Amino acid sequence: MRVPEAGPPRRNAQATTVALDAEFPQELPREPITQPEALPRERRGARRLAAGERWIARVLRTGAITSGCMFVTSLALEALPRDESVHVAIDLLRKGAASMLLVTPVARLAMAGTLLGLRGEWRYAAIAAGVIGLLALAVGAGFQA
Amino acid sequence: MTVLLLMAAGVLAGGLGALLGIGGGIVLVPVLVLGFGIPLEQAVPASLMCVVANSCAAAASYVENKLSDLRLGLTLELATVMGAIFGGLVAAFVAEAMVAVVFGLFTLFVSLQMLLMRRPVQEPATAANYVPGNYPLGISGSFVAGGLSALLGVGGGPLKVPLMTYGMRVPFKVASATSNLMVGVTGAASVAAYAWRGQLNLGLVAPLVVGVLAGASVGSKLMLKTPTAVLKKLFAAVLLIVAGQMLWKGGEGLWPSVWK
Repeated sequence: MRVPEAGPPRRNAQATTVALDAEFPQELPREPITQPEALPRERRGARRLAAGERWIARVLRTGAITSGCMFVTSLALEALPRDESVHVAIDLLRKGAASMLLVTPVARLAMAGTLLGLRGEWRYAAIAAGVIGLLALAVGAGFQA
Repeated sequence: MTVLLLMAAGVLAGGLGALLGIGGGIVLVPVLVLGFGIPLEQAVPASLMCVVANSCAAAASYVENKLSDLRLGLTLELATVMGAIFGGLVAAFVAEAMVAVVFGLFTLFVSLQMLLMRRPVQEPATAANYVPGNYPLGISGSFVAGGLSALLGVGGGPLKVPLMTYGMRVPFKVASATSNLMVGVTGAASVAAYAWRGQLNLGLVAPLVVGVLAGASVGSKLMLKTPTAVLKKLFAAVLLIVAGQMLWKGGEGLWPSVWK
């Protein structure tokens, strides 16, 4: 293949194209420029954040579905004839479901803080730790946040 | 039959709460007190539990669709919790009725502005395409929202969504999804405080939470498809109800002293 402006460079000018004897190899443009592990730091961080967000969504969904199933089971047990063991089972299921539901947002907060901390965004990790600390203080003191 | 009706109330509150980022307590408390004759001391913690359930179910979908802004949520959450603690500390020195009237007038103003605004603003659809501005206003507004939640027992959603949308230039859907994420944490702390004092009726909570979870999962899917203009109008209508509740609450406390 002959490229129009090929040939020796003119004086004080740099050649921008060169003469080539053959066609470009087809696989050349498809070759990766860098190795996958040598991705830019930002892109790696974005990938990690996206994976972390998926985990946060999973934690929230698992908490909601598990507690929902426990509440549904407790409602189904109410249809059974009342005796001591059924009553205890209903009580345990409801307490477990309520605890699960209350822990889930706090776990999400801790995960978000950890995730952003791992990305090097320490300010947000510190904010998440601060929120959890203040909530613990508020609950301990009996305030309604 | 009562269990089914409670579930239906939960579905309604969950759907509306997930769509608008307000938690759903605003709908649930009047329904429980006026519709089912449940005392307010039991209705408030039960509705807060539903707010937590709503937040967990809806926020999962919003985080997955990159609609919730985690950084903004964390920042405003800190201010909200600080405001709530401050509100709890000064509650004994502040006239609740007066705060309710001021909050009622503010929500009335915001809702009328949203209802009457004719020019729609073009908004980006996801949390990736914008940068929130005016953080000082957002943080101070969240502090006030936290204080109001402690003083009046209202969730921060009705205040935080307009604050983020109009004060910080956050797209409405992102503001709603981020508010949904935040109300879960503050709601969980409030419920824990009620449970600590033995005021949480789990027999009442069970059917409500089941309904709310179903409603929230439907609402979170609907929100992605509903046009922003429709959501804004719906939000304004709910704000009008909140304003009415707050003005009524404040009026009940203020009118006797005005007459005297």
